[in-house]
Amino acid sequence: MSLLDILFLGALAVALAMALLGGTRPAGVIATLSYAALLAVLALMEPLLAQSNAAIASSVKFQIIGEEIGWSMNGLGWFFALITVAAALFASWFSSGQWGAVQYDMRRQHVLLAVNVFAMLVLLSSQDLLGLFIGWELVSWASFAMMTQRGGAAARAAYRYILYALAGAMAVLAAIVIIRAHAASFNFADARMAVAALPSATKWTVVALLTAGFGVKMGLLPFHLWQAPAYSETPGASSAFLNAISARMGLYALIVTLLQVIGTDVLTNLSVQFIWLDARDIIMWLAAVTMVVATFIALMQTDARLLLTWHGIGQGGYMLLGVLIASPLGTAGGLMHVMNYGIYQAALILSVASVMHRTGTSDLDRLGGLITRMPLSYVTMLMGIIGLAGLPPMNGFVSKWMIYKSLLEGREPLLLALAFVTTLGTILSVYKLIHNIFLGQLRQEHWEIREAPLSMTVPMLLLGAICFVTGAMPGLTLQLVDRAQAAIGVPLLAHHLGGVTLATGSLNMLWVVGTMLAMMGMGAVIFYLLGGRHRAVHQYDNYAGGHFLSADLRYHFSHEFYPGLARVIGPWYRGWIVRAEASLIRLSDIIGHAWRGSFDAGITPLYVMAALVAGLLWVRSAGGLP
Amino acid sequence: MSENAGSRNPLQLRDQPETCRTADAEERSAWQRVIGRFADNCRARSLFVLHYCTGCGAIELPPTITSRFDMERVGVSPMVTPRQADILLITGYVALKTLKRVILSYEQMQAPKYVIGFGSCTINGGMYWNSYATIKQLDQYIPTDLFIAGCMPRPEAVQEVFLELMRMIDAGKANAWRDYYRNYDHYLANQQALFGPQWHTPTDIVAEAKHYGLMGPGTTGPHTRLLDQHAEWALDRIPEDYPERGENERSER
Amino acid sequence: MTLSLLAELIVMPLIAFVVGLALVLMMRRVRARIERRIGPPLLQPVYDIVKLYAKRTQVSHGIMHDLAIVMLLGGITTSVCFLPVPGLEGLARQGDLLTLVYLMMVPMLGLALGVGSCANPNGSIGISRALTAMLAYDVPFVFVVIGLAVAYGTTSLPEIIAHQQSGGIATWGAAEMPLLAIAGFIAMHAMLGKEPFEIYVAPAEIATGPMAEMSGKYMGALFVMQSFQLYTIGALYVTMFLGGGENWLTFLMKLFAVVFVSVALTNVYGRYKTDKVIRFMWTWPTGIALAGLALVMMH
Repeated sequence: MSLLDILFLGALAVALAMALLGGTRPAGVIATLSYAALLAVLALMEPLLAQSNAAIASSVKFQIIGEEIGWSMNGLGWFFALITVAAALFASWFSSGQWGAVQYDMRRQHVLLAVNVFAMLVLLSSQDLLGLFIGWELVSWASFAMMTQRGGAAARAAYRYILYALAGAMAVLAAIVIIRAHAASFNFADARMAVAALPSATKWTVVALLTAGFGVKMGLLPFHLWQAPAYSETPGASSAFLNAISARMGLYALIVTLLQVIGTDVLTNLSVQFIWLDARDIIMWLAAVTMVVATFIALMQTDARLLLTWHGIGQGGYMLLGVLIASPLGTAGGLMHVMNYGIYQAALILSVASVMHRTGTSDLDRLGGLITRMPLSYVTMLMGIIGLAGLPPMNGFVSKWMIYKSLLEGREPLLLALAFVTTLGTILSVYKLIHNIFLGQLRQEHWEIREAPLSMTVPMLLLGAICFVTGAMPGLTLQLVDRAQAAIGVPLLAHHLGGVTLATGSLNMLWVVGTMLAMMGMGAVIFYLLGGRHRAVHQYDNYAGGHFLSADLRYHFSHEFYPGLARVIGPWYRGWIVRAEASLIRLSDIIGHAWRGSFDAGITPLYVMAALVAGLLWVRSAGGLP
Repeated sequence: MSENAGSRNPLQLRDQPETCRTADAEERSAWQRVIGRFADNCRARSLFVLHYCTGCGAIELPPTITSRFDMERVGVSPMVTPRQADILLITGYVALKTLKRVILSYEQMQAPKYVIGFGSCTINGGMYWNSYATIKQLDQYIPTDLFIAGCMPRPEAVQEVFLELMRMIDAGKANAWRDYYRNYDHYLANQQALFGPQWHTPTDIVAEAKHYGLMGPGTTGPHTRLLDQHAEWALDRIPEDYPERGENERSER
Repeated sequence: MTLSLLAELIVMPLIAFVVGLALVLMMRRVRARIERRIGPPLLQPVYDIVKLYAKRTQVSHGIMHDLAIVMLLGGITTSVCFLPVPGLEGLARQGDLLTLVYLMMVPMLGLALGVGSCANPNGSIGISRALTAMLAYDVPFVFVVIGLAVAYGTTSLPEIIAHQQSGGIATWGAAEMPLLAIAGFIAMHAMLGKEPFEIYVAPAEIATGPMAEMSGKYMGALFVMQSFQLYTIGALYVTMFLGGGENWLTFLMKLFAVVFVSVALTNVYGRYKTDKVIRFMWTWPTGIALAGLALVMMH
C-alpha cells in the first residue's frame, strides 16, 4: 500500500466520516485534523519525489480496451495537492466554530468539501489521458454539487457552469479520442510522440479543443462568465476553497496537456500566417486578455465576493502566462503564483465571510468603518490585498515579479504591459474593497458589531501570516515549486531563501522586506517620539467645511468609487463586453432550454454515462482496437 | 449679556501675556527650553492661515498674498482645512449662524493656534453693532490673539498684524489658545448664552485639555456639565466601547 | 562590507531628504518668481516641517491613521535605498527597476489607508482620484520601463547607469531613446501630482483631498513625503534617461534641471478633470511611448 493509496483512502474516509458525523459539533475539528493528517502524508511524499523525481503509484488499477489505467502522483500533482489539502484544512478550520454552527447545512458542506478534495486528488494523480478525463469529470461534478448546494442564484450560476463544463468535457474527450486514434495508447509519453507526428490542422484542432475544454474551468476568455456568480454565492468556507484551488484544476490540466502531452516546441511551431503569432502566443494573449478584462470587470463590482472572484479569474491569467513562457523563471513564477494566490485569496474570502457573518452583507455600498469593530479581519484583508495587488512585502509580489521578468526575457513587451496594467487595475479595486468595508465612516447599524470569534480569525490570520512569510522568504515556496518543475521537465530555477539572483537584475526579498521593516521602525521613531502627543477622536469630529456632523447624516464616499475612470472606460463595459456577455448568456439559455426537459426527468447521470459510453465506443472504433 | 460674561479688553492679552501662562512640565529642563525655543522660532516663521471670510474683508487678502505684498516671504501661506491651519483669520462681521461654524472650525484647529479678528466688526460689531443677528465681540466666544482695527484695514495693516503675531510667537507670548482650554467654561457659558443649553460641537475640549495636560481652574464648571447631557460624544449615540474613547482613558492614567 | 552598507542605508535617506527639501524650496521659489513674487526664505521647508512636528495637539483617527504614517515614511525611505546615486549603490543589486517601481507604490498605499481611516469623504475622493491618476500615468510609464529594459537587456539600475555612462552624452537614454524620454517625462510630471494633473489635491474642490484631516505630525509626514517624492521621481528620471550621475555635482545638476523644468511647466497650467487626465495620458504619452518601444524593439 503506497502513500498515494493512504492519501486516497484518507480523503474517502474524511468524506465518510463527515457523512456520518458532519452534523455534530466537533465535525469541523475532526475535519481539520483529518486534513492536517493528509497534509502530513503529503509531506512524507516529498522526500520520495525529491529523491527519484519519479511518481508515487497507487495500487488501484483497472483494464480498459486492453490498456491498464492507473493513478500515480508526480511532483506537479503533489504541488497542487498540497494547496488543495491546505485550502480544505483552512476552510474546515474556519467552519469548525461559530460559523459552522449557524450554517443550516454544515454536514452537506463538510461532505462536499471532502468529496471535492478526493476528486481533485484523483485528477492530480492521473498518469494518462483517460485518467485525466475521469478525474476531470469527477472534479466537475463535485464542484457543481458544491456550488449548487444553496440553491437560488448560486444554483443558476452552477447550472450555467455545468453546461460549460459538459461542453468542455466533450471537447476534451474529442481531443483525447483524436490523440488516442493516432497514439494507440492513453499514455502521456506515447501521446506526445503521436502528437508531434500529426498534421498541422489536426494539431490545431487538438490544441483548440484542449484549451477550450480545460479553459472553461479556469474561466479563460470567453468562458469566464460562469465563475464569479457561482463561486461568490457559495457559502464562505466552501467559497474560499473553490476560489483558492478549484479553478486551478483547469491550469493543472492545461499544464499537463499543453506542456507535457503536446509540448511547447509543437505549440511554437504552429504558426499563424501574416500575424506573426503561433499557437502558444495565441493562448498567452488569451490569458493576458482574460487577465485585463476580468480585472476591470472586478473593478466595477459592488459586491465584495463578486469582486474577489472576478479577480480570481484574472489572476489565473498570470499563472497561465508564466507557465506558457516555459522558461525556468516563467514556470517557477506561474506555479508559485498558484500557491501564493491560493493563500491570499483564501484569506480574503474568509475575511469577507467573517464580515458577512457579523453584518449579514457583502454589499460594498452598505458597509464602512468596520476597522474599529473588526480589526483582526481588517489585518487579514490588508495582508491579502497587498498580496493580491502584488506589492512588496507580500508573496504576490515575488511571483508576479518573476512572471514580469520571464516575459521580459521572452521579449513579450506587450504581454508584460498588459500584466502591468492588470496589476494597476487590481490596486484600484482592492483599495475600493478595503476602503468600502473597513475604512471610512462606521454606519450606525454596525455600532454593536464585534470581532469574529477566534475559530474564524485564527485561520484567517494564519493565512495572512503565511502570505507575509512566503513573501519575505520566497525560497520556501520555490523549494516546493522545484518538485513541480522537475515533473514538467523544465530546468530548475536556481534560487535562495530570499529570491533569485539573475544577471539581468535580481530580487532578494530578505533585503527588501528587512529594509522596509527597518525603515518603518525608523518611521515609527520619528512619528511616535519626535512628534508630539496625539489624541484619537471620534468619527464625527471631522472636517466638513464647518458643518456639524452627526450620526443621522452619512458622511462617507463609497458608491461608484472611481467616477473619473468610469466616465472613460464605462462606455466600454456598456458596449461590447456587456453585449458579448449578454449574447453568450442568451446562447447558453437557449441551449439550457433545449436541455431542461431532459434534466427535469432527473436522469442526468444517465445522460452523462451515456455520453461517456458513446465516447469510449468512438475511441474503440476510431482506434480500431479489439 | 456681554457684561456678566466678563468681557476682556482686546489688548489685555497683548499687554500682560504672562498672566495666563504657567510653565509647562516640558519646559522645565534647560534642554527642553532650548527645544521649545527652537520650536517657537520655527512656529513664528511658518504660519498657515485659514481665511474665514465672513464679510467684505476678504477682498483685502488677495493683495496680501499675491505679488503686491507676498506674505510667503515671511512664511505665511493660506491653507484649506482647519486641521492644517495655525491662524484663524476672521474677516468681518460674525452672524450667529456663522459663529457656530467659526467655533467648530476653531476647535478643529490644532494648538498652538492663533485667532486674528479682522476689522471693526470683530471688535465691537462695527457698522452692525445694532444688528440682532451678529455678535459684537469675537473674543467672548473664542480667545483672540490680535485684532486689526479699521473698516476696512488695508493689506499693510494685515501684514503688520502678522508680523506682530510672529514677534509674539517668537517670544512665546501668543498663548490665547491656552486660555480656551484653561477657561473653557467661561467661553462655553458665552456660547450657551447665545445658542441655548443644548449647544455643543463635535470636539470634546475638556477631554483634550485632560489629555494634553492643559487643564486650568476654569476648564470645567457648570456649563461644561451641561455638555455631558447634550453632546453626542457624551451620550450613548456613540457607544461606550467605542475604541477611540477607550484609548483616551488609557492615556489619562 | 556590512558596516559600509548600513552606513549607506542611513546616509542615502538623509541625502534624499536634504536634497528633497532643497527641491521643495526651488519649487516654491520658481512658482513665486513666475507669479512675480519673492517667495519663501531659504529654510522655509524646514520651518514648516519643524512647526508641524512641534504642534501641541494633534488629531488621530485611530491606530490605522498612525500606522499609515509609519508605513508611508518607511515605504518612501525604503525606495530611496534601492535608487543608486553616485558613490552609493545601497541595495540597488538586491532589487531592480521593477522592484523600485512597486516599492514606490507602498507609500501611496500607506497614505491611502491612513486617509481612508480618517472617515472623511474629501480624503476618500482624493485617494480615488490619486489612484485613478496612477492608473492613467502608469500606462505610458510601463511602456517606458519596458522599452528601457528591452533596450538595455537588464532591469538592474547600476547596469543601466553603467551602460549610459559608457560613452558620454551620446549613450544617455535620452539620446538613444528620445521618444521614450519624452513619454517618460510626461509620466514623471504626472507622478509629481502637480498641475495639470493635480486632481487629487484640488484645494478648491475637495479641500486638499488626502490632506484634509491631517494635522501636526501627520501633515508633517506628508511634507516629508513630498520632498522625498520630488527627489525620488527626479532621481529616477535622471537614472533612466540622463545617465545617472558621474559625480555628485553632475547628478545634482541634472536632478535640479529635471525638477526645474517640471515645476516651471506646472505653473502655466490649470487643472484637468479626472477623465481628461486619463484620456490625455492614454493618448499622447502612451502613443509616444509605444512608438519609442517599437523603435527599441526594431533594433
